[in-house]
Amino acid sequence: MDLRKVLIWGGVAFVVIIGAVLLMRPAGGGVQDVSPARANELVAEGVRVIDVRTPGEYELSHIPGAENVPMDSLGSVASEWDRSEPLLIYCTTGARSAQAVTYLEAQGFETIYHLAAGIIAWDGDLERGSEIVPMPADVTPGAAPVMYEFSTDW
Amino acid sequence: MKPVVDRLKQEYDGKVEFRIYDVDKSSEGQELMRRYGAQYVPTFVFVNSDGAEVNRAVGEVSEDEMRRLLDSLE
Repeated sequence: MDLRKVLIWGGVAFVVIIGAVLLMRPAGGGVQDVSPARANELVAEGVRVIDVRTPGEYELSHIPGAENVPMDSLGSVASEWDRSEPLLIYCTTGARSAQAVTYLEAQGFETIYHLAAGIIAWDGDLERGSEIVPMPADVTPGAAPVMYEFSTDW
Repeated sequence: MKPVVDRLKQEYDGKVEFRIYDVDKSSEGQELMRRYGAQYVPTFVFVNSDGAEVNRAVGEVSEDEMRRLLDSLE
């Protein structure tokens, strides 16, 4: 067999293998970055929603029905999940959730939707925690202008 | 962001009060976030000495932008 035939049959085999791999994937499976609008549809359809931010961030506001599974506990918690169940993953800006998506895909989760723009871009309803915290005493304006920074150690 | 904020905190000492809250550890920080209607971290809220909020920024903010926002405070 000359080199030309080897290249042709090699190319055919490559196309067949790629096609077979794609056909074996579940419909809509794999990892998909989704827009806030699509994420809203998925939430309405009842897709399992995972918020990988910290408990403090989750407490402030989260997508209705989302489960809080912070990054540092994702490995242990997700090991119990059904890998065929579709997941919608998000964080604040998409940075941490991108890591979570990579991890979950490597663990064999079949269908992962990623709200790549984060909850910042979410324009649907939000839920807040029910904890009532007393108003702090020192929120009155001072003599100087104030810059408040609300952050977390992640 | 922390090195930038630390540097600016020193630079603006006496001109702007920096109130920094870790919302995972501070219930006061959480309540202040609610008070200001902030939903995401990091959020920076810029408040004049009369208590009026004049600017806010969410997410990563460049040092130049942070300086501009701090300089706009009265």
